[in-house]
Amino acid sequence: MSVQTTEVLIIGSGHSGGMAAKVLTENGIPCLMLNAGPIVDVTRQATKKLPDELPFRGFKPPGKLEHVFQASEFNTNVWVDEAEVPYTFNPAHPYNWVRVRLFGGRSLFWSRQSFRLSDYELKGRSHDGFGQDWPLDHAELSPFYSRVEEIMQVTGALDGPAQMPNGNFILDNDPWSGSMQRFIAAAQPKGIAVCKQRRATGRDGLASSVNLLLPDAERTGKLTSIQNAVVREITVDKHTGQPNGCKFIDRLSHREMEVRARVIVLAAGTLETTRLLLNSGLANSSGVLGHYLCDQIYGAGVVASVPEARNAAEHSKLMGGGAILPRFRNIAEKHPKFLRGYGMNVTSSTGGLGANNFAAYGAELDRKMQEYYGSGFHMSIMGEVLARYENHVRIDRQKTDAWGIPVLHVETQYTENEFNMASDAVDTMSEVCHDAGFEVLASNKTPNPPGYSIHEVGTARMGDDPKTSVLNRWSQSHDHKNLWVVDGAAFVSAGWQNPTMTILALSMRASEHLVDEMKKGNL
Amino acid sequence: MERREVLRAMAVLAITPRWLLAQAGQNQSAAPVLPAPVPWTLGLNPRTPLPNTTVADAIAETVPSYFSAAEMATLIRLSDIFMPRGEHPGALEAETPAFLDFLIGHSPAVRGTLYKAGLLWLDAQAKLKCRKPFAEVSEDEAGELIKPWLRTWMTDHPPTQSHADFVNIAHADIRTATTNSKPWLDSLDERSRDGRSQLYWSPIEPDVYAERETSVHTRPSQTMAAPKATHEVRSYPR
Repeated sequence: MSVQTTEVLIIGSGHSGGMAAKVLTENGIPCLMLNAGPIVDVTRQATKKLPDELPFRGFKPPGKLEHVFQASEFNTNVWVDEAEVPYTFNPAHPYNWVRVRLFGGRSLFWSRQSFRLSDYELKGRSHDGFGQDWPLDHAELSPFYSRVEEIMQVTGALDGPAQMPNGNFILDNDPWSGSMQRFIAAAQPKGIAVCKQRRATGRDGLASSVNLLLPDAERTGKLTSIQNAVVREITVDKHTGQPNGCKFIDRLSHREMEVRARVIVLAAGTLETTRLLLNSGLANSSGVLGHYLCDQIYGAGVVASVPEARNAAEHSKLMGGGAILPRFRNIAEKHPKFLRGYGMNVTSSTGGLGANNFAAYGAELDRKMQEYYGSGFHMSIMGEVLARYENHVRIDRQKTDAWGIPVLHVETQYTENEFNMASDAVDTMSEVCHDAGFEVLASNKTPNPPGYSIHEVGTARMGDDPKTSVLNRWSQSHDHKNLWVVDGAAFVSAGWQNPTMTILALSMRASEHLVDEMKKGNL
Repeated sequence: MERREVLRAMAVLAITPRWLLAQAGQNQSAAPVLPAPVPWTLGLNPRTPLPNTTVADAIAETVPSYFSAAEMATLIRLSDIFMPRGEHPGALEAETPAFLDFLIGHSPAVRGTLYKAGLLWLDAQAKLKCRKPFAEVSEDEAGELIKPWLRTWMTDHPPTQSHADFVNIAHADIRTATTNSKPWLDSLDERSRDGRSQLYWSPIEPDVYAERETSVHTRPSQTMAAPKATHEVRSYPR
């Protein structure tokens, strides 16, 4: 059978690939989607169990998924096995690459926090002189954000300062709980805004590619998908030098196959997209492919207790609710110890506090946990990691994955900028807690290893100059006009915000431009 | 006889071994017995009852193999100190020490080292300060040895100070192993017990050939060492 040529080949089925498929097919363009993993059927593959029914009593199976802190024995099988698809790094600088290859990718499991980038991030260099500006600003992205927020059904309040632009929200008019009001009052004198959380509610509790994007594409009858297709490399037409399809390996049979396409859209997730480009030897005339890997620092934070909520006090009005503290450093004033800034996730909890919040054991610990039940107040950081050239990925020619594909070597580490940011966050939140009359139980200034946030972005950044960027302002390769990257690899900087809304907005914008280019016959 | 029955009989004859045919010849009155394997799974259907089983912990005991007798004696006492029997079963009823022998014995070496060194240190402290092995210390004596090392800490960031790391990590492990055990869960009322269940994901279309000889797959070395940087980002592999 001869190889068929499809119009657009989309590699990856998460939010970015799903959005590309939706936009392209709704505009009449046939697409073929390849995904490296299988389709997940929760009714068949998941069941409720108690921890004592599992081989390791709920502990993460020893030696498995060492770099996926989020993993437990319950969900071990949804993550990419580090033994099956290994990656390498300097042991002194570990990297937590957290991956999902199921159909829908990480959109199946994301936290659903939904923020826009502001011009403090998109035009960061203009603001503080570090790094590069993005080739677009918030005003240009805003209409796409609005449409994405509509699709994802984002809830929130129109209470954001300039560094957290408001959007097209289902309005959250719930009153603040008493503990949140006290926290707001204590934060205000420090110039810290406390805003309502912004979260995608989606449908039926899920805001994924598989329920909000791919069904629309499939309804057009123009989307064909193949599961378990592990792409080895993008192929190139030897006459034109332009990409013309890909070779992939069937995950289960290990049979190698190939497909042809007029246009290739990469949406495999930041580092898999870049790995594929590097393994294919494409899109790197600038020499910056793989560089400027960045994410957000997580793990630093504070756990406190609201004294009035202890001892089984009635706390229906005192406790509960969450908030987001948008970045407040380096907006009006310059911080002496770090550039950019961090946001904080804040939760007023009505549940129990973990045993590790008390320096006690046995009966004394039981008493403490009972006393403090329902009084927890949690703050955790989301801090911008600067986009540095030296933080990069490259192909490790010494090691291959289960399908013989060379793996990625990740070389990245945090600097004083990130550590100082984490330290400032804990000190500042501890002060706010003290001023609010809360008791600080535990705190931590050490960020988790890079990658933990699952917000890795960059490595194929966009820009106007082909000598310093991989993609143009439309997410199209400077080197190959029929090669597009619509996932987080295109980011110029990370910001402190969860990247999903921006990934979706960029994918929508790129895909609509791709439609225009195809209709004009430019591709 | 209908045509399809004739064909079925011919098929059975074709797959019947000679020795069975010979037997059939000796005993003409006996019904022919089909040899295994037979397509018995065709009979399975949604109404087929599933066997009732229990978790092995409810009946059987773990055979300890990792910790030495002295280490195990210390771990047993430490487990009893950290999680004594109260409203719910304690660590000893949950057979937590034996479970940890299995768990830690199968964990990356760095975790085993943490435990073995910690148990050795604790026993030495007991002999030094109480003039007896840790396995024989009273609750008060144990408290004097342990409490100075207790810390509060956030998830994924246990203390990194020597001795404090062992005390707090062992405490967390003993607590989790006990509260996730069958005796503990059985002691909860139905609602609380239901609240402890979570969605468990089975392997999703696993590559059953991943370990075959011809696979290019090779497993990476076990554990990355914990980094020693100015700002410690230590890992405690489980």
